[in-house]
Amino acid sequence: MTINSITFLSLVRREVARFTKVAIQTIFAPLISTGLYLIIFSYSFQNREVAGYGVPYISFIVPGLIMMSLIQNSFANTSSSLIGAKYNGIIIDFLLAPFSYIELSLGFMIGGMVRGLLVATVTYLVSIYFYGGAIAHPFLALFFAILVSSIFSLFGIIAGLWAEKFDHVSIFSNFFITPLTFLSGVFYSVKGLPGIWSEVSLFNPVFYMVDAVRFAFIGQSDMSPYFSALVIFSLAVFLLVIVTYLFKIGYKVKS
Amino acid sequence: MVYSDRLRDIYGGDFVTTAIKIRDINKTYGELQALDDVNLDIKKGEFFGLLGPNGAGKSTLIGILGGLVKKDSGNVTVLGKDIIKNYRETKKSLGIVPQEITFDPYFTVRETLEIHSGYFGIKDNDQKIDELLNALSLSDKAEIGPRQLSGGMKRRLLIAKALVHDPEIIVLDEPTAGVDVELRNSLWEYVINLNNQGKTIILTTHYLEEAEALCDRIAIMNKGKIVKVDTKENLINSIDKKLIKIQFADSVQGLEDELQEINFDLNKDKREIEIETAKQDLDKILKKINRLNLDIVDMNIESAKLEDVFIKLTSLGGDDN
Repeated sequence: MTINSITFLSLVRREVARFTKVAIQTIFAPLISTGLYLIIFSYSFQNREVAGYGVPYISFIVPGLIMMSLIQNSFANTSSSLIGAKYNGIIIDFLLAPFSYIELSLGFMIGGMVRGLLVATVTYLVSIYFYGGAIAHPFLALFFAILVSSIFSLFGIIAGLWAEKFDHVSIFSNFFITPLTFLSGVFYSVKGLPGIWSEVSLFNPVFYMVDAVRFAFIGQSDMSPYFSALVIFSLAVFLLVIVTYLFKIGYKVKS
Repeated sequence: MVYSDRLRDIYGGDFVTTAIKIRDINKTYGELQALDDVNLDIKKGEFFGLLGPNGAGKSTLIGILGGLVKKDSGNVTVLGKDIIKNYRETKKSLGIVPQEITFDPYFTVRETLEIHSGYFGIKDNDQKIDELLNALSLSDKAEIGPRQLSGGMKRRLLIAKALVHDPEIIVLDEPTAGVDVELRNSLWEYVINLNNQGKTIILTTHYLEEAEALCDRIAIMNKGKIVKVDTKENLINSIDKKLIKIQFADSVQGLEDELQEINFDLNKDKREIEIETAKQDLDKILKKINRLNLDIVDMNIESAKLEDVFIKLTSLGGDDN
């Protein structure tokens, strides 16, 4: 497992430059949709508190909305980069160049993380206007954000490698990412869910991500943040191994 | 002194004389045997032609070399290194121009070459990039996106990408398809210059006259097999054919009687004749024509061309090796 810094950084540079060249689509468009959520929820539930948390609703959902931006944009970056590369034929550039498999995994992953973290940071800056901007554990928030963005960047790589056309990526996005995100407690506390649904939510990995970041923001969460950290970290390592293996076998890119 | 050090002394520090060694390569796509026990050695510094009809297996073989295609069995070394075990080193030694035109729509021509240099571990490669842009007549297009390039320009950008890391072995898979004649000539000048500097060139092309003019040795592939590998001269000499073209001052009479057993074409006004014959009959035919005492204005005798070799070997489906 070797990394050539110039080779590796060139891939990261390419991945970051790719989305910044179309910043209106990749940074500002997601920001508008998250901004609309903030406006709607802050005015609709102005005086409401979340049961068991004792914080205003807007303070409760801001970490969830930031997570949502992070997840969707990290995933979108790597998945669209790879399916685009397949579509344009430039996927062979990555195969002909002397990348190690771990360099490919990390290079694409970091590109996705940069976009996810950038959109999440801008979303946070906008959210300061709505809730004041307090973060109980800022370094923990950054740590969780980095881990979550890596997970969904890696998911995006798997989707991009698996997909044979752009439609396939939206299957991943519409049938997995969006439902798992919306049902992860972004907008509510899973403790308050009726009956079995509270337990079912524990099988949703995104729940641990949202919950952990919520702990970092407001100092309260449904689960222990240490347990959430363990789940998130394990998932990130597992996906990194899977993605590196997929690059090694040339999954759907080598004939 | 160890053996390898002695070899280094003898060969001036570089004792690997084979650029590419291909052994027992097989590749199937479902029922199709794309490559069937392919063995091939390409020497360092050669200008090597890899020819064959569509579907012969040329691009599959190149794909295996570059890591785009997974082989079923066999092994390949590049400058003595295995392409699987030492894939990072072998990829740095190879510059492959693929047949399909591909481009990254997000980056300008110069940015594309900068990024590509980086992929191969090269920082600040402006001098080489400028040299390539100039050699491939892309200097004035350096700051525009590839969507604005014509088909021929996009192909030249592909060539620049393959050469940007100054590889020892350059594989050109149909590099001149869609490139106009003038630029084709300047491209070949540049490639010949690289070959003169010691770079190994492997060329696949449908333009057989290009292969004939450029290549030292040629492998002809058909149906996944190498059916012949030899020097260009030996390949051409293997075809026993001469084409005699004679132009007479006036219409000729009596030729049909004199050349009864010979295959010839006489044009409408009976002033020009083309005779295809074997080498050993050349003297006999010329003496027969001489006996007619005709006024000859011009005469030309052509040998077989690479195209004849190609047609013979591929239409027979590979009868020898």
